[in-house]
Amino acid sequence: MKQLLKKLSLEFGPSGCEDRVREAIKEEIKDYIVGKEAIEDGLGSYIVHMGGNGPRLMISAHMDEVGFMVTGILDNGLLKFGTVGGIDPVCLSSKRVISESGVKGNIISKPIHLLSASERGQAPKMKNLSIDIGANSKDEAQKLTFVGDYFTFDSDYCEYGEGFVKCKALDDRLGCAIMCQLIKDIYNGEIEPKYDLYFAFTTREEIGYSGAYGASMRVRPEYAIILESKAVADIAGVGEESQVATLGDGVIISFADRGTIYDHTFVKHIKAIADKNGIKNQTNRYISGGNDSMHIQKNAEGARVSTLSCASRYIHSQSDVIHMDDFESAYKTVKEVIKNDGSN
Amino acid sequence: MEKLKQILNSLMDCLSLSGHELYGESTIKALAEGICDEIKTDNMGTFLLIKKSARENAPKLLIDAHYDTVGLMVTGIKKGGFLSITSVGGLDTNILPSTEVTVYGKEKVYGIITSTPPHLRSGEPKSPKMDGLYIDTGYSKEKIEELVSIGDPVVFKNTVDYINGDYVTSAYLDDKACLCSALDALSKMDKDQMEFDIYLTASAQEETGKCGVARVAFDIEPDLAVITDVNFAKTEDDESFECIEAGKGASIDISAVTNRRISKNIMKYLTSEGIEYQVCCEPGATSTNADFVSISGQGVPTVLMSVPLKSMHTPSETVNLRDIKSLSEILVKIAYHKDILN
Repeated sequence: MKQLLKKLSLEFGPSGCEDRVREAIKEEIKDYIVGKEAIEDGLGSYIVHMGGNGPRLMISAHMDEVGFMVTGILDNGLLKFGTVGGIDPVCLSSKRVISESGVKGNIISKPIHLLSASERGQAPKMKNLSIDIGANSKDEAQKLTFVGDYFTFDSDYCEYGEGFVKCKALDDRLGCAIMCQLIKDIYNGEIEPKYDLYFAFTTREEIGYSGAYGASMRVRPEYAIILESKAVADIAGVGEESQVATLGDGVIISFADRGTIYDHTFVKHIKAIADKNGIKNQTNRYISGGNDSMHIQKNAEGARVSTLSCASRYIHSQSDVIHMDDFESAYKTVKEVIKNDGSN
Repeated sequence: MEKLKQILNSLMDCLSLSGHELYGESTIKALAEGICDEIKTDNMGTFLLIKKSARENAPKLLIDAHYDTVGLMVTGIKKGGFLSITSVGGLDTNILPSTEVTVYGKEKVYGIITSTPPHLRSGEPKSPKMDGLYIDTGYSKEKIEELVSIGDPVVFKNTVDYINGDYVTSAYLDDKACLCSALDALSKMDKDQMEFDIYLTASAQEETGKCGVARVAFDIEPDLAVITDVNFAKTEDDESFECIEAGKGASIDISAVTNRRISKNIMKYLTSEGIEYQVCCEPGATSTNADFVSISGQGVPTVLMSVPLKSMHTPSETVNLRDIKSLSEILVKIAYHKDILN
């Protein structure tokens, strides 16, 4: 599953441009969904109906990642750009980026030597940042890119320390990887779902107007589990009271975040299953963030939702970090939940 | 170009944080092999490559490119295996959050510089403070204490990318781009045509006080010093005329510090030979080794030449290989033409 996480994370797929991720997922699971209904909907989400006996449960993860869009090309060949999804400008200066067609560049700002006294100490502003693709003129740049072209961080997959992984786009390819694995497990007979099971690989989560709207309206789930990553700030320099959760302490089973108050019964049910199976889990100790669950919960007839997240450091940067133990425990938890008919 | 890339790749692949240049001794020695008569290493970590002209009593030409780079140093080990840091050389803290680094402890340790999520910050966005940034090593405090000590050097993770053909991006091009030119030039210089004895320095500690080359210049007493360093390439924000343009060749820099007569002679000579160059003005001092070499010993006539560089002092310094080649060609021309002294 680690290999799959790497493969999917390295695919190019900012919001609104998820095609390559979706194709990689289709390729990955095509042999395991023979005879099952699988639909690519109008917003580009990929929904697989694996079936099973019980209430409708939709498991979802988003395929898109944060990125950049070219908004203008200057006479000197530099590109102006906007962010696709929320990216902290402080994580942009000097970072490497790559376009959909593989054009490499890096984000440049004024060197420290040339900053005026009033500019020093200021955080970077988007208007002062550009992408340099090594083009010496507008004409040269236009051969390599165009206004409306997408870029993402150009950042490799790297395991470090004791069980940590860094890559771009772990948010939310980790959820996609877990769903692919669950589909394989069902095919292989390892899981007999106690739910009528749908998997939704959604689009555009990072910009808010999410593919999850369409997917949940199509599936009309009674229950939904959203697989995500969650910014937690368990780093030096941040007081413990502000640390949302801890990397390596297991899957985060959230009770609430800024977007959703999760279904208390369903959440407790999931936590009980995790505890019973000895799966490391934690909950968020600080209310922050939000995800597709806020749309899925309130769509159609409404759904009982739960989000299972991997704690993440430096989310939406070139160095998105998770802990492999959390990835494992998120996978194991969902697997046990699907197998369980509610009798515990 | 392939040869330049090879030299660059070797130079960028070794630790040479300012004050730690001796780590790179084997790299410099390997590159110097066969292209000079003699190589000396001094106690500060400046490497001196000497190549004598076939002619008797040739004047001495010092060519300098500094070998050290900016970076960081470990100042403490915190709970959770985080390392507190300080900068070595001038760094903008805005480039640090989420940047990948290598810590040179007992072994090389990978790390990521921390970034505090925006929801935990308040007020106007400010640059992060160095004492609020840490290296995330992913190890427990106990484990990292076995691997890393306070004072260990830290450099940006070395990723070399070639973009749009001739541009190379890496953390260490200031000033290894010029050192690459100088080594390439030295390898091409024909002793029979050389009208100078060449003293090439890969100098230490330019980024932290410009102190590595001046004492070597004091020993050599050169007739002319050519200092080579990177200079700011024009980007949209730097419309000042102090910037030069990437891809248009090396520049001759005119300053109060540099020798006006010889600089002019070199420009005239290059023009007569049909060699393109740019001209850059540095009113006052140059903030390069030229400032200190010119006042070493009894005073040294000094010329400054630059290669344009984008994103100076960041992990993505970018330079055009054509400019590295241009500087190399100009250095060979100068070595063959002592008339520029007149």
